[in-house]
Amino acid sequence: MTTAAVATATRAMRRPARSRSLKAWYRNGTLVAGMVIVGLLVLAAVFAPLITHYDPIKQDLQNALLSPSADHWLGTDKYGRDVYTRLVYGARVDLRIGFLAVLIPFVVGSVAGALAGYFGGWGDTIVMRIVDVFFAFPFYVLVIVLVFVFGSGEKSIYLAIAAVSWVAYAKIMRGELLVAKKQDYVVAARLGGMSHGRILVRHIAPNVMSQALIYAMSDIVLDILAIVTLGYLGLGIAPPTAEWGSMILDGQEFITTFWLQATIPGLAVVVTSLGLSLLGDGLSDLLSPERRK
Amino acid sequence: MTRATRIRSVGVAAVAALALTACGGGSSSDSGAAGGTPTEGGDLTIARQADILSMDKTTTFDNSSIYVMEQIMEPLFMVSQDGTKVEPWLATDYTISDDKLTYTIKLRDDVKFTNGNPMTAADVKFSIDEDTKTGADGWGFINAAIDSVEATDDSTVTIKLKYAWAPLLADLSLFSNGIIPENYGGLTSEQFYEAPVGTGPFVWGEWKQGQYVKVTKNPDYWGDGPHLDSVTWTVVPDANTRKLQLQGGQIDIDEFPDWSGFGTLKDTPGITATAFPSTRLDYLAFNQLRTPFEDVHVRRAIAYALDREAMVKSVLFGNGQAADSLLSPGTPYYAKNPDAPQLDLDKAKQELAQSSQPNGFSTSILINAGDPNQVSVAQIIQSQLKELGIDVKINSLDATAVRAARNAQDFDMIILGWTMDIPDPDEWTSFAVDPEGGSHSAYTSYNNPEVIAINKQAQAETDDAKRADLYKQLQEKVADDAFAAYLYYSPYAYAMSDKVSGFEVTPLGNYHLEDVSKSE
Amino acid sequence: MLDRFRFVPIRLLQSIPVVIGVTIVVFFMVHLLPGNPALTILGQTATPERVAALNTQLGLDKPLWTQYFIFVGRLFHGDLGTSLTYQRPVFDLVAQAVPITLSLLAYALVLSLAISVPLAALAATAPGRVRDGLVRVFTLLGQGMPQFWVGIMLILLLSVKLGAFPVGGYGQTPAEHPYYLFLPALTLAIAMSPTTIRSLRASTINVLGADYVGTARSKGAAGVSLFRGHVLRNAAIPTVSIIGVNLGYLVGGSLVIEKVFAIPGLGSLMINAIFARDFPTIQAVALFVALFVIAVGILTDVVYTLIDPRVDLSSKERA
Repeated sequence: MTTAAVATATRAMRRPARSRSLKAWYRNGTLVAGMVIVGLLVLAAVFAPLITHYDPIKQDLQNALLSPSADHWLGTDKYGRDVYTRLVYGARVDLRIGFLAVLIPFVVGSVAGALAGYFGGWGDTIVMRIVDVFFAFPFYVLVIVLVFVFGSGEKSIYLAIAAVSWVAYAKIMRGELLVAKKQDYVVAARLGGMSHGRILVRHIAPNVMSQALIYAMSDIVLDILAIVTLGYLGLGIAPPTAEWGSMILDGQEFITTFWLQATIPGLAVVVTSLGLSLLGDGLSDLLSPERRK
Repeated sequence: MTRATRIRSVGVAAVAALALTACGGGSSSDSGAAGGTPTEGGDLTIARQADILSMDKTTTFDNSSIYVMEQIMEPLFMVSQDGTKVEPWLATDYTISDDKLTYTIKLRDDVKFTNGNPMTAADVKFSIDEDTKTGADGWGFINAAIDSVEATDDSTVTIKLKYAWAPLLADLSLFSNGIIPENYGGLTSEQFYEAPVGTGPFVWGEWKQGQYVKVTKNPDYWGDGPHLDSVTWTVVPDANTRKLQLQGGQIDIDEFPDWSGFGTLKDTPGITATAFPSTRLDYLAFNQLRTPFEDVHVRRAIAYALDREAMVKSVLFGNGQAADSLLSPGTPYYAKNPDAPQLDLDKAKQELAQSSQPNGFSTSILINAGDPNQVSVAQIIQSQLKELGIDVKINSLDATAVRAARNAQDFDMIILGWTMDIPDPDEWTSFAVDPEGGSHSAYTSYNNPEVIAINKQAQAETDDAKRADLYKQLQEKVADDAFAAYLYYSPYAYAMSDKVSGFEVTPLGNYHLEDVSKSE
Repeated sequence: MLDRFRFVPIRLLQSIPVVIGVTIVVFFMVHLLPGNPALTILGQTATPERVAALNTQLGLDKPLWTQYFIFVGRLFHGDLGTSLTYQRPVFDLVAQAVPITLSLLAYALVLSLAISVPLAALAATAPGRVRDGLVRVFTLLGQGMPQFWVGIMLILLLSVKLGAFPVGGYGQTPAEHPYYLFLPALTLAIAMSPTTIRSLRASTINVLGADYVGTARSKGAAGVSLFRGHVLRNAAIPTVSIIGVNLGYLVGGSLVIEKVFAIPGLGSLMINAIFARDFPTIQAVALFVALFVIAVGILTDVVYTLIDPRVDLSSKERA
């Protein structure tokens, strides 16, 4: 067993082992809770200007470092900006990048993994060796180095995350394909003379996508954590843009005096991750209940 | 290229400077041993943002390294505690010939290197010559006026000059002219500076890169002290961690605490936070090799758009004052300049309208990522220039990379700091406004013949009042040209445990650890 | 018995292509820099001599494949290049930092087991009950918290408010290290626990339902002794693999945590090198960490074989 194979196993085991039959989605408590949390966050991000009337970027140095009050619910930062406002606008940045960042690796990784698994042979070996190489680098090491190499900024973050996380999708899809291609309906379709492309797209894809989708949910969490971490290290989204990681970095300076400033953005990340994890768990209940132990 | 490196990389987290005021700095630092005899023994730990880079005194420019090497290798003369003059140190006295071209210097006869050999005139000659040799690659330019150094006898050195040069003794007080054994004690210079030997109160101990550097007591030191058994400088890049470590008693001295935490430190029982007067100026330099900074209106527009009072309040937390001149108030011939650009948004907009970029432009500012003050100042500048339609991108690099980019003039705007190394304004004015000064006018490529002429005149002028007038003119013209936007003058912040006594910092930034002791 | 370890040499052989791949990735990092890497590193108007010197040092003046072989050749001699910041062999810098990071990781591993085993046992012995639910909440939160933020929060609570632990640093004597490293190790342990708990919980539930546990029970074993003697050992088997994988993840996390706690290990070395654009150092850390992860993978398989008599990796087709 390679470590990468174990990684897939890990993921499979991450889901709790409660058994549950397929129910209507709205009776799936986990899914609903996740949807509510994520939904509220997305709404807050989209309608940020309606929720708060302060500017997240404009400085007001005369009103720096105010304690929480009716005017500033969470106080102001060292540049006199409303912390609550920056929190809400920060959701825009972190959620947007988190969601968008999974797209490229999802597509690239799934396709590579599916092709490798379906056709096997040399292509499979090469793809899997590349996957092993990438798995050897811890996530943060490669992301940090790549963001540095590409230069800081949003585009670099997408590229770096894509370069690092496609391998997980490839691994998952390959595993799914190895099983799927031996299924009766695929064998039958082959015997019926259907082309490989048609079989992959029409018959296999709809059946195997769910695992990649479920993984994508936890991947968004990983990506958001990565974006926040890059922001904290000063390698992420450049100031003055409101972003949770750089807010924590700024707040850390005042940990003995205004400890809320480092605490609150972190809590926002935790709530977001929680919502997405619940959503992912719920989704996996819904999409592949038969896989539950 | 001669003086390119003269600026001591103040960039390194250095928070620093201002001489004139009482600085609101907190109590004096000698609380522990006031009147009593200093405690002998103990290990002192100083936490700082940046690691040392090298112990080669002739080619090293960062303060972190310099403050350490000064404890090991000593010069013939030493800047006085108030930073205004120099006093004999390894020398006892000197005579100057009538033509002012020959200096005869007597040496102390009781000084030994820590390798056991006595210090002689031959060692002095070797040490100064080695520095002179580095020329443009090191501090050699500081000795440019020196024609020859001769060991007349074991305890006498004769220095001949190419031309009359008043700051010679000040130059000899620079650490780069510190005295080391002749011929590096038989080693190569690389080997020697791996574990340097000098006459100082402390002996080189060990260096773990990125972690700490340690020196130990020189028991045979010729002067008073040292009282401590050892001194360790630990590298703690995060200012907040340093502060908490000091409060928790893990370290004894916090070098350059954040101003944001300075107040808290002052209020902590058992901790003394002191703002030592300095000669520090922080300024925003414009690279005139790059468009549109060759345009004086653009530079002036930026200089008028910056709210220095707000920076003093929110970056220095009130510990400093808005800058109005090239020279800091602690520097001789500083002239207060009411006409120097201060915040005036209308004037800023007028200037920009007259410039090549009436509708604003995009540019960038280079800062040291490890310096929280620069991080804050850059964000404030970014925000304030936005009012003018100037978009500023902040590029953060570490101190070393910033230095490289600065020397290569690879930046649009850069935040720099300056502290005087010798008590004479010429060191800084020649560096800042004379393109021949070696740094292309403090890395800006500023070139105004009128200003250069005034500077040359001031160098040659011996009459004090006339010299003062020349430097006043110079300060006014340079401010009007806005070759840089002066930001603020700030003191050196240090916070230390009350157990520490005798720790004093000169306006030039140096400290004498042989005077320091630590009670139980 | 020894036959079961026939797979070890094969496993080692099979990791050769991965190691080669890793060196290629690390080597090409420098070529991903925009423009002339030497120029980028030195700045636009760097002197031609310095550019030439750096080109030679990085071997950039030769054909790509030659460069790569020179790079690998140097690696074999332990030559990772010279740090641009310190002008010293990068190998020395890495060698200084490695023991610190490894001890942090080992410490974190121990703490994470100390957290995971009891929690997993609590949850597994009462699936679906309140305490199971609470443990699940812990795992969900643990996974969703940014590690560095957990570190900051621990500093806030245990160092700033209670004054119980140092806020950062590594300590100077060996006796001080465990005390200084406690909070960072705990931070990493909290990050690592959720997956371990989930795996242990699931496998414990399986084991508890197995025949031999029933037999042991009928023989009068109960409570802690039953758990320790029979359940834990068997439940631990799949968990070992998961810990192995997680250790790789932990290495990445520790890089960031070192920065939070000012620990002079590989992480601080790398992050500082990033801001210094000290490319040889960045390459060396990335290379070391990747090789470490590969080694842990192999080690995990060995341990797996050791503790599980049923496993015979040498006879199994590799995935």
